[in-house]
Amino acid sequence: MNRIDASDHYEVTATGQTPSLLTIILDTNPRAWQALGPTLSISAALANILVFVNAHLAFGNDNQVAILAAHSHRAVWLYPKPPSSDSNNSSKNAVSSFKKKAGLGGDGDVEITPQFAAIESSILSSLQSLIAETDAADIPYTTLVAGALTTALSYINKTALSFAPAKPSSTDPNANTTGNNNNGSGGAAAAAVAGAQQAPTLHARILVLSVSDSEPAQYIATMNAVFAASHARIPIDTLSLSPHASPTFLQQAAFITGGSYVSASLNPRGLLTYLMLGFLPDAEARAHLLQATQDRVDFRAACFCHRDVVDTGFVCSVCLSIFCEVPPGDAGCLTCGTKLALGNYGNKPAVVPRKKKKKKRVNGVSGREETGSATGTPVP
Amino acid sequence: MSVNTNSLQLSDYLEKLPGTTFKRLYQQPSTAFAIFRRMLPHLAKTFVMAMLYMPTPFLISDLEIWVKPTSKRQKDQALATLRSLHIIQSAGPQSMTLTTNFRNSLRLALEGGGDHHSFGVPSTLPVPSDVDLAFLDRYARKKWDDILHYVVNSVEYSDMRDKDTSGGGPKASVKELLIAGRLVEKRSVATISITQAGFTFLLQEANSQVWTLLLLWLEAADAAGERAGMDSVDMLSFLFLLASLELGRGYSTNALTERRRNMLPYLVDFGLIYIPPHDHQQYFPTRLATTLTSSESSLRSVSAGFLAASEGGISDAGDKNAIILETNFRVYAYTSSPLQIAVLALFCELKMRFRELVSGKLSRQSIRKAVDMGITSDQIISYLATHAHEQMHRLAAAQKKPLLPPVIVDQIRLWQLDTERMSVCPGFLFKDFESVREYEDMANFAGEIGVLKWRNDRKGMFFASKVEQIKDFMKNRRKAEQ
Repeated sequence: MNRIDASDHYEVTATGQTPSLLTIILDTNPRAWQALGPTLSISAALANILVFVNAHLAFGNDNQVAILAAHSHRAVWLYPKPPSSDSNNSSKNAVSSFKKKAGLGGDGDVEITPQFAAIESSILSSLQSLIAETDAADIPYTTLVAGALTTALSYINKTALSFAPAKPSSTDPNANTTGNNNNGSGGAAAAAVAGAQQAPTLHARILVLSVSDSEPAQYIATMNAVFAASHARIPIDTLSLSPHASPTFLQQAAFITGGSYVSASLNPRGLLTYLMLGFLPDAEARAHLLQATQDRVDFRAACFCHRDVVDTGFVCSVCLSIFCEVPPGDAGCLTCGTKLALGNYGNKPAVVPRKKKKKKRVNGVSGREETGSATGTPVP
Repeated sequence: MSVNTNSLQLSDYLEKLPGTTFKRLYQQPSTAFAIFRRMLPHLAKTFVMAMLYMPTPFLISDLEIWVKPTSKRQKDQALATLRSLHIIQSAGPQSMTLTTNFRNSLRLALEGGGDHHSFGVPSTLPVPSDVDLAFLDRYARKKWDDILHYVVNSVEYSDMRDKDTSGGGPKASVKELLIAGRLVEKRSVATISITQAGFTFLLQEANSQVWTLLLLWLEAADAAGERAGMDSVDMLSFLFLLASLELGRGYSTNALTERRRNMLPYLVDFGLIYIPPHDHQQYFPTRLATTLTSSESSLRSVSAGFLAASEGGISDAGDKNAIILETNFRVYAYTSSPLQIAVLALFCELKMRFRELVSGKLSRQSIRKAVDMGITSDQIISYLATHAHEQMHRLAAAQKKPLLPPVIVDQIRLWQLDTERMSVCPGFLFKDFESVREYEDMANFAGEIGVLKWRNDRKGMFFASKVEQIKDFMKNRRKAEQ
């Protein structure tokens, strides 16, 4: 006991939990909610979502939440409000009238912590003004999810920067300029990509509550957002509520970013339970829990010429654009203009029978090969 | 190796309470909410939320499927915490539910509604014009610094003996509390001196200090019993209520019960609330009160808020997190508060002092001197860790490195080990097992729930810091064997 044991090491680590930012994208397509109407009204769904948001915030004081509405024409912030908006007058009325509708007890905005009350009133007033502004005449069947996703990503990036450690003064200046040069649609997350080498100081994730189909016209925009999220290691979770719709691209998004995709179409009334069990755990808890996985993912892409979802298509060998048919005439690739020859498409391949080798079959080995198509984008 | 010494203290206090007390505590949504937020590990929070709206009991087999097999240890610890705080109960042999009161209260806290007044009743009276955030911050800071100065000034240290204690220090009741809690000792009539517990108190972060003092107060109230008209359970739930209030808002005193109104003068003495001198109808919680149940990283931003509030010409920006520790044993502290400099001087050779910055060095002599005064290396390390600069936190989080340079931490401990070679930990020794198998099962179980302190396989003995769950385990094991 008299000797000092110098092999014993003590490490002091910070014990506080990493703050977590939950971004909810709520699909507010009026037609889709109308179709869902008998089973789950939007006000009932909203009451559930508010409880879920409160539960997320209850995990710690520095947990944050951001809520976006993906409407039929545009994406709108519900919380936090953009600084320019000044429609704050009707919020109190909105809350109390909503509470009566949703059967959430009296107008007891005393009986709730101040933060919860602020979020609740902001969401409800923004949503009401959004609905009031919607023109009933032309409502498309689909929703602008891509716009909402990119808005969410840029917000997450901005928030993550405020939590990032200061750069040591000796960093070479080139590291910063590469981020600025990237002005493509994935540029929003470029800085986050640069920071992704280190452990995150903010756990961000995106949850999409989807009620409508994916719009093939948005294929490219959606996928750009998804790959940006994948690089920034932001999981995109999706809860699909409608039995009539299958958000193909969001399934792929969940698969690529390592989020979870759950379809609640069999029982949309159980929304809160789905949310609490499947989507409340953040990155810290997910390290210990098994996530809901998809048994099959719809990997079909949309073609670049007619925006149709295709099973089999033609791919430009130079720029990898997808087409559902051979471009007419001698036009070549519509994206990059390369003249392409079709080769002998449609011909039956000559099948050369292979020499049969005598080989012992091992029991239990299936003859199928791995196609390797189900590999996600490599994460830096 | 937990830095967060204060919530350990709070959890120790809570664990001593009987189950019926918890039942009463959980009747208040604010209490259930605060305990959920403050006392539970992350995984336990996830479990609670999963069970909150579950109509049927949660099967343990389902839980085992949900949790990855590699995280069994974390799962068991989470469940152990939940049990000890009486948040979950068994609902049959292989399933569990949340306890009724906790479930109802937490649901109310999340949904709103009800008329429990558990999150305070805002006052409708006009707010006095001079009461704003900056004023409340200054007020709370002043009250608290008075208390700390009273403790610090009892150290025999020349530099910090500034007799400029304007305001005359804390109230007599607070002084009595400090003496009763053995944070300071009365040597003779005039002089008092700090004890080792006092050093622990001094070296904690502000939030832990507040809890330490409040727990002392609760224990004192317990000892005084009904005679004093105090009920520690009601007091505790009132404290949790205070934590959920909004800073800078007035709350009505009329809505409080008689007992709680009696608590207000004490809370004013601690600096947790402010009551305008001419208007006793409303009270204002200060930052000390509203951050009682905050987590650590938000406390850092709170002390930044304190700093911002006191920037207006007052250089008394006291206890902020501003210490940078380098691997070459140098310490830089961005502070100009005499209090923090005095505390630093206890274990650190201060070399230079500028406006807003002092710098110094940790050395063998300085640590030895501190150890001789009764400060332990753990206290020094936890002080450095809790007051580490925000940049140190961010760098550590980004590079996945320890917060403090390990070489320094090791060295401080080694310097202390030069003089002390024993550490004391109360607990229970388990020996004389019937079989090796039994010993191994028990010791492994103790390790899994995180109470194992020491084991010796050759002698078949182990030592654990807590006994309750091991007892249950032993019982179940016996039952299973029969």
